[in-house]
Amino acid sequence: MDGGWHPQAADAAPAAPRAAPAPWRARAGDAALAAAPVLLLLAAWQVAAARGWLPEQILPAPALVLQTAREEIANGDLLADTLISLRRVAAGFALGAAAGLTLGGAIGLSRRARAYLEPGLLALGQVPALGWLPLLILLAGIGEAMKLTVIAWSAAVPILLGTSRGLREVPTAWRELGAALLFGRAAMLRRIILPAALPVVFTGLREGLANAWQTMVVAELFASYAGLGYLMGWGRQLFALDLVLVAVAVVAVIGLAMNHALAVIERRLRPWQAAVAAPPR
Amino acid sequence: MQPRTIAAALAALLVAVPALTRPVQADPVVIRIGYPGVGVDNRPYAYGDTASLARAGHYVEDEFRNDPGVKIEWTFFRGAGPAVNEAIAGGQLDFAAGLGDLPSIVGRSHGLATHFLMPAEERDTLYLAVTPQSDIRRIADLAGKRVAEFRGTNLQIAADRVLAAHGLTERNVRFINMDQANTIAALTAGQIDGAFGDLEMLDLQRRGIVRIAYSTKGDDPTFGRNAAVFVTDAFERAHPDLVQRVVTAFVRAAAYGSDERHRTQVFALWGLAGIPETAFADDFAGTTLAGRLTPVIDPYILARYRDQAARAKSYGLLRRDVDIDHWIEPKYLDVALHSLHLEHYWPRYDAAGHKVTDGTVEQTRAAAN
Repeated sequence: MDGGWHPQAADAAPAAPRAAPAPWRARAGDAALAAAPVLLLLAAWQVAAARGWLPEQILPAPALVLQTAREEIANGDLLADTLISLRRVAAGFALGAAAGLTLGGAIGLSRRARAYLEPGLLALGQVPALGWLPLLILLAGIGEAMKLTVIAWSAAVPILLGTSRGLREVPTAWRELGAALLFGRAAMLRRIILPAALPVVFTGLREGLANAWQTMVVAELFASYAGLGYLMGWGRQLFALDLVLVAVAVVAVIGLAMNHALAVIERRLRPWQAAVAAPPR
Repeated sequence: MQPRTIAAALAALLVAVPALTRPVQADPVVIRIGYPGVGVDNRPYAYGDTASLARAGHYVEDEFRNDPGVKIEWTFFRGAGPAVNEAIAGGQLDFAAGLGDLPSIVGRSHGLATHFLMPAEERDTLYLAVTPQSDIRRIADLAGKRVAEFRGTNLQIAADRVLAAHGLTERNVRFINMDQANTIAALTAGQIDGAFGDLEMLDLQRRGIVRIAYSTKGDDPTFGRNAAVFVTDAFERAHPDLVQRVVTAFVRAAAYGSDERHRTQVFALWGLAGIPETAFADDFAGTTLAGRLTPVIDPYILARYRDQAARAKSYGLLRRDVDIDHWIEPKYLDVALHSLHLEHYWPRYDAAGHKVTDGTVEQTRAAAN
């Protein structure tokens, strides 16, 4: 079954890649492992609801949540609110990514920019985006500007850190290789520094997007008239925890999907990764 | 020892042990009363209804003054009616006093096991406050505006009704959910165009922070907001005697508060919540205390609750129909009215809001200003 795998061979060459099971089987196994806790949680929820361990007002049964989801999809409210949230996150993330990449790029590439900017930005970055909310409301009010700013801020911090770190931590051997090949500044940047930095920069982008998505929920919970966070708040005010759980599920699924999509893009962007060992972090 | 003596001794023990333990109270009973709202700066007081008056005047505490085994515990919820519902669901309350019509109906539609004991407030005015420079002059101007409202409280359904009467729905207005304290802050900072609220808006108007663009006063008499006193089924089953005494205490407070000779004192007691007494004087100008604080379950209040439940469903605030008639448990109120000789104290109204019988309390109207 294991196609030529022998203990002796493994002993002889411990670093050699061990003959893996068929890829589809590995993937199915991974999926099963990933699904197990979710299914367990769902089962526990069903049992808890059926046995009445928690009042039905606080923990509605899965069937009711599913029915509510169907109704909310049918009447178009769920889609409308989801689109509004997605639009807010897209705009906020774009702003945050632009700021994070620019400032992170400057800090990563220029010693002077680093000396001037890094300490201040690092200090500001220690405060979570939502910590700025009270101040931000005074400056930007409670409308879209406030929401976009707080989402952009939450995205910008990890992107800035990832970008500056990625650019700075290019392995010395790679730089030496570039120097040996007599690369100019532009070629060095394009052929050595950017490819080396990309994985860390991308980790920052992924983290930034996840932050933006989570911050959106909280920003919308507070003072909004549309969006998934608003839907959660509305559900809570009208004691409809089924609606809250529907919104929670949508937030979770979209968050997961975005993370997965970025992982796929990341893999596409660095095809050499399969051949070259991951650069040191 | 003779077997018979042993038997006699055992029998004596069996009789004596319960007799000895009986007078000793098992555990002190705590009566947990939740109120949907809190005073200014989180003062543990409220205003505008019978329950807040009873709290400020210690009516329930006085009822149990000679019962060291009974403790009264008030909790004031900044999250208002929705938070009270959550506390009931979590088994943290025995009474909800002054819970608004919409949150109580929402709670019932989600299966909260409570009984409606008596009204705590009727015909409460709804105010629309706008920023002084706002171009909102009437309800119809609200289309597309950003308006704060404490969602899930009885403000929401009252506002929905007023909107409907002017050809609007919730979808035409950008409603932002804010509690009372945040609403006042947002209005003061000019971050919203307006807000639906209670009589605290009158004080903001006096201070020049807002302008009242609309109030339900003088409009359709059924536009007002209502609130009531509720007991959980579990507490009622365990302590019907205590439920009776709590209801009697609340009826006593309502009787005191409905007498126009006490207008100043009533406003002073409500004023403990931090609202200036002038706001109450303005709010009650041209209306009677008895009309607001009557605890009587007459055709008017029955019609209000049935109507609010039907409207809440049609506005999409409820998923299930709510049966009002089996929710109401009038026996405690009836006993209280009888024992206090108050059967004819309050006027009674028909479903449309027209007075059917006069009340003896109205004879003190002469003292009213």
